[in-house]
Amino acid sequence: MSADKKTGKMLNATNKLKNEMGRHFLAIEQAYRDGKPTAWATAGTPVEFLYTMDVQPMLPENSATISAALKKSQDFIELAETEGFSYDLCSYFKTNVGAVLSNADMSVGGTRKPTFMLSSDVICDTHVNWFQVQAERFNVPHFTIDVPHVVSNTTNRQREYFKKYIIEQLWELLDFIKEVTGNEYNKEKAQEIAINSYEMGKIWQDVFELRKNIPCPVSTRDTFGGLFPLFTMTGLKSPIKLYKRMYSEAKQRVENGIGALEQEEYRLMFEGIPFWYNLRFFSNLERWNAIIVYEPYVYAFTKYTNPNITKEMVIKNPVESMAELVLSFWYIYDLKTRVKMFKETVKDWKIDGVILHDNLSCRPNACGMYDLKRKLMEEADIPSLVITSDMNDPRKMNETQVLNQIESFIEILRERKKR
Amino acid sequence: MIPVRLLGDPTIGIDRANEHIPPNHCTWAKNLLEQAINGFEADIKGVITTHGCDCTNREFDIWLECVDLEFFYFLNAPLKRNEAALKFFIDDIKELINQLEEKFNVNITSAKISKAIKKMNQIRNQLRQISEYRSNMILKGSDFHSLVKKIQQMDKNKALKMIESTLQDLKTHKPQSDKKLKKILLMGSVIDDTEFIRFLESLGFHIIIDDLCIGTKYFWENVAETEEPIKALAKYHLNKPIYSTKFPSYKRFEIVKDLAKQFNVDGVINIAQKFCEPILYDHPYFSKKFKELGIPYIFVEMEYNRESYKQLTTRFEAFKEII
Repeated sequence: MSADKKTGKMLNATNKLKNEMGRHFLAIEQAYRDGKPTAWATAGTPVEFLYTMDVQPMLPENSATISAALKKSQDFIELAETEGFSYDLCSYFKTNVGAVLSNADMSVGGTRKPTFMLSSDVICDTHVNWFQVQAERFNVPHFTIDVPHVVSNTTNRQREYFKKYIIEQLWELLDFIKEVTGNEYNKEKAQEIAINSYEMGKIWQDVFELRKNIPCPVSTRDTFGGLFPLFTMTGLKSPIKLYKRMYSEAKQRVENGIGALEQEEYRLMFEGIPFWYNLRFFSNLERWNAIIVYEPYVYAFTKYTNPNITKEMVIKNPVESMAELVLSFWYIYDLKTRVKMFKETVKDWKIDGVILHDNLSCRPNACGMYDLKRKLMEEADIPSLVITSDMNDPRKMNETQVLNQIESFIEILRERKKR
Repeated sequence: MIPVRLLGDPTIGIDRANEHIPPNHCTWAKNLLEQAINGFEADIKGVITTHGCDCTNREFDIWLECVDLEFFYFLNAPLKRNEAALKFFIDDIKELINQLEEKFNVNITSAKISKAIKKMNQIRNQLRQISEYRSNMILKGSDFHSLVKKIQQMDKNKALKMIESTLQDLKTHKPQSDKKLKKILLMGSVIDDTEFIRFLESLGFHIIIDDLCIGTKYFWENVAETEEPIKALAKYHLNKPIYSTKFPSYKRFEIVKDLAKQFNVDGVINIAQKFCEPILYDHPYFSKKFKELGIPYIFVEMEYNRESYKQLTTRFEAFKEII
């Protein structure tokens, strides 16, 4: 590496993220002390309904990222493999299996036995298989939401009955929770939670809007960590305050022409889940004055990306709106829509190049990535690079190789700037 | 229209599919894509993909991009098996019918569907009878496998005639017994290469029964003929022996266990095509459960090419020794 080391600036507000995470884990502890029902939930499930039904959610995926950040994931993964789970299976899943087998504390990514489990195949079938494995281990009930798969030639006519199927299942979910916990559905509470969820998603989108500015005020130092509440606390008020602080600070930076990076030359997009065990990897980009200004994975979890879903609709019909949102989730876009959204994003965020993470643990996300790359390069003339690694398994990352690839990629961008 | 089940070809390379799909994705699905990009030998007009695993689901969009066919439909076979899933599946089957009618200017009436159901039920009835000839060693597992494959790729009138003749022929044979052969239940991913079954037979195994989609799952139950035909078809698919791709896949164990007991097998062989996630997730549970029951069980992950079979010889020989 030829460039000097530089350090990007994190927002001061992001430091408060630890408080939010702490609040979430304290709420879990409190739920167990009070005998309140708890549930494991996979990403992409409507966590809002758990809060509505007075059930404390726990998201093992986010716990797995904590294990990785603390360099514990490999041990947990290897432990899961001794149970017979393949080297090729999802590293979040195996981190969770290992954490449970080791009876790990929450502070290192452990998750306690819940009252029940809630999964969905909206993102991947792994979620469903994962909770099947763990529900059997803990002997707890497991509800799964089957989300029809939207493909590039799905018609509007089809979307209508897809939605009907999801709505029916969401009502079944509420009945299931009532049966397991005795807690009743309360529409007023559902509306209150829905408003909070909507506001949280929107303020996070506002933060992303600010990132369109040159220089970009917010980097991955803020976004990768900052998304924790989007998974775990969606529907609560407290994270909204945090995001508003992040927004104000970022706005101030924009007004003062200050970027997250001292000298911004290359604006990048990063597709896929980051390497949680090696987040410092992203600071390497700063050596080349490159900054990631958009991460579809992070943006996806703002949830309210469908312009047809308004705040009024969310308040009026929380269940029906949720069904529509589940169907139009950024992370699972069909290839045609994905290509279209990438092209638009590249233009709007003034992106110089796209890095695509072929995540060995996330086949649904990696599938179509080669075609996406080809289309971005051929149809939009955007340099794109595929790197191969894993989100939670450090054994599958060859840091030197990836860095070399990125260095060469930056060279390409540099040459293009000279044109 | 003649439905032709797409099968892999383990003798070909998959260079062109590799340009679209990462290396750690299902090799069998890549094999199908390779054939599709190169153009199928049969005169295939369109493809209907059913909701299977994460890989095949996502790859449908790649097919749309790079395969030259007239018709593509993704049939969302539901993950679950309740009333809501049934209603949804009926809607999706009706949509498939609509799109087929629009595209090919045909009329798919209830009467025609009922007629097709009856014919398929006849085929299923006969296949169940033929399958029994595996039990008394008259019919080799590989020959049966080859027959089921053929039926899934041919005109069903011709298929019916063919299996009727096969059945008549089998009736003329006397039951056999070879105590050296180990009676096996074969399960796993899509196992469509008959050569693999022959390879197992060469090691002294006899596939007496299976839990495969190209096998018992194709004919184990009939579609109700008295019900409204689309509903009957939807119900049939939701009630047939469960796949590892559906929920709860652990129920598959109950099916396999019952078959293993019914056919008094010496052991169970579970094969995962390389990177086949649904099978990989289920395996530890199956392993634990078979151990509890004292039924010998071996799990093998396999590359989708014939060169790899021989490398597995030692493992299978060791398994044979154990049972």
